[in-house]
Amino acid sequence: MKKKNSVFLIITIPAFLLFVIFHSFPALQGIFYSFTDWKGYGDWNFVGLKNYLNVFKDERAGDAYLFTFKFAIVATILVNIISLLVAIGLNSKIKFHKTLRAIYFLPYILSILIVGFIFNFIFAHFLPQIGDVFGWEFLTRNILGNPDLAWIGIVIVAVWQAVSFNTILYLAGLVTISEDLYEAASIDGAGVWTKFWKITFPLIAPFFTINMVLSLKNFLMVFDQIVALTGGGPGKSTESISLLIYRGGFEGGEFAYQSANAVIYFIVIIVFSVIQLKFLNKREVEN
Amino acid sequence: MIKKMTAGVMALTLGASLLAGCSSGDADDGKVTLELFSNKSESIETYKGLIKEFEAENPDIKIKLDAPPEAETVLKTRLTKNDLPDIMSIAGNATYGELGRAGVLEDFSGTDLAKTVQPSYIDMINRLVGPEEEGTFGLPYATNANAVIYNKAKFEEHGLEVPTTWDEFIASLYKVKAAGDTPIYFTLKDAWTGMIAWNSLGANVAGEDFAEKKNAGETSFTDQYDEVADKMETLVQYGHKDNMGVAYGDGNNAFAAGKSVFYLQGNWAIPEILKANPDMELGVFPMPVTNDTSQNKLVSGVDVLLAVSKDTEHKEEAMKFAEFMMNNDTAQKYIDEQKAFSAIEGVYQEDPVFEGIKANFENGTITSFPDHYYPAGMGAENLVQEFLIKKDKEKFLKKMDSEWEKVQNR
Repeated sequence: MKKKNSVFLIITIPAFLLFVIFHSFPALQGIFYSFTDWKGYGDWNFVGLKNYLNVFKDERAGDAYLFTFKFAIVATILVNIISLLVAIGLNSKIKFHKTLRAIYFLPYILSILIVGFIFNFIFAHFLPQIGDVFGWEFLTRNILGNPDLAWIGIVIVAVWQAVSFNTILYLAGLVTISEDLYEAASIDGAGVWTKFWKITFPLIAPFFTINMVLSLKNFLMVFDQIVALTGGGPGKSTESISLLIYRGGFEGGEFAYQSANAVIYFIVIIVFSVIQLKFLNKREVEN
Repeated sequence: MIKKMTAGVMALTLGASLLAGCSSGDADDGKVTLELFSNKSESIETYKGLIKEFEAENPDIKIKLDAPPEAETVLKTRLTKNDLPDIMSIAGNATYGELGRAGVLEDFSGTDLAKTVQPSYIDMINRLVGPEEEGTFGLPYATNANAVIYNKAKFEEHGLEVPTTWDEFIASLYKVKAAGDTPIYFTLKDAWTGMIAWNSLGANVAGEDFAEKKNAGETSFTDQYDEVADKMETLVQYGHKDNMGVAYGDGNNAFAAGKSVFYLQGNWAIPEILKANPDMELGVFPMPVTNDTSQNKLVSGVDVLLAVSKDTEHKEEAMKFAEFMMNNDTAQKYIDEQKAFSAIEGVYQEDPVFEGIKANFENGTITSFPDHYYPAGMGAENLVQEFLIKKDKEKFLKKMDSEWEKVQNR
């Protein structure tokens, strides 16, 4: 017993130390600096809650919150619908389903810079050309250059990339469902829809919960897709909160102010994740 | 067990010593090693050549060139660690201003080296530091310029002449548009490209001291930038059909392929355009912003300045390198290779492409980039981009004012 304990300690202590040094300590430092006027270098003073009050008064932060939530909710819903459909398809007895699984997982492996490059090309050259050929006026301009439509472009890319990971999770869930249930249902005369709503969906409920929570959290922190596609533009129409924090904090010398913004955002994400978990968990139990 | 622990500790200390090894030190053979920090990836090859020359002349000094990506962020983090490079080759922008105010750079004011620089550029960088700290903390070295680039073949085809007033400029844009061609190729998907026209207009219409006055609360965008905003709106009418959807790289290629007559860019775009179409004949002229020709200046900024760390242990050697760089022959070599302009008096860019703006450098009718003096956090280029889409002038100017003040109050 004693020996076992020491083995555990040897494994956990370094991990714990690394976690504290590289994660907890910087996080606490960030919270500390959010009460100062530090620019990232030089002298600083305590300013109390001024940074927090300024965040609440900042119209630009407000716009970023609105955009991020609009984006995250739409993307979460789309990702979960599409990846569930893809997973069911891949789980059925089709030819090459292993190869197909590998192909569907590819977008997740590709670097976002490459993805951004490809989609920039599609939006800037490929789609407008199609629009020209068929005379579809709405397609002849790059949608990333239109402040009302640019977010849709980002949703398309983000969803395209995120579907693969969620599909894997749903597949893992679908594998746990026994074939017998479907056979029994067939004998009772259940159709495809009934099978899905009465068997498949309830039984993968835990996977649905985790997918919803994870994707909402990931989409709320959207950053790289935006950098690769629009850089927050046109105007400020696609500026997400992470991008605002990065831009203002590192390029704009507002380190302390954006630390306050980051702390607020951290709390918002935790609150949302907890609410979501509570709500969805309850659903699971009922079934 | 213990063996493994020691191995672990060894690995950790090894890692630590590797990290510590990054800070520069003297070589064992009595040579002094200087660190030259540069923020431009474009000039690495040029610097390598110059360093070789310098090392041949000064056998006991070695120079280590460091040009990392995200250079300004790197420099700011090194500032927090009190670990500045011996010599810095950075741009004359807000970061220089911050370093100057932080009091970590050698003051060159009144030195012989500073006297070789055109006074207007010394002025320009002094204003970046602001009134809080007296001094010239860098030597302006290479400069850039905002210009209107034009396609000479198309220019002749449309029978145009280089315009010298705003009305003539608009008339030629109109003529091209009426002939069914695209006058200007805008690349406004990249917000910063909108600032080329904005800076040319702002510097000449609203005046050079706008930022100082704005900081003192004596003026505002609403008061001074009305005409600038109007003229920006006029210019975008002469673009192509997807002004907001094309990015800088695509724009260079499109202009090189002859898709428009004019292109609003700086000298830095010319090598890129020529790369896409080496046979293209290009010309440049300063954007004529008003109808009073004496008021139209060329917008030019300090692209590279040399600064020396105040606390470096090898100040004498660092100064030697600065002297070498400021020497007319070296300066000429630098601007020839980089297609830039020199801040040093008597050193001129002779490339025929720049014929149209050469006179401005010779007689000093230049002015600086207004946005270098804006607070870094306000994100002016995205606001301008938004304005060019939504075209609500009053709201936009008010927003520029309020964003500026908001950043100031933080």
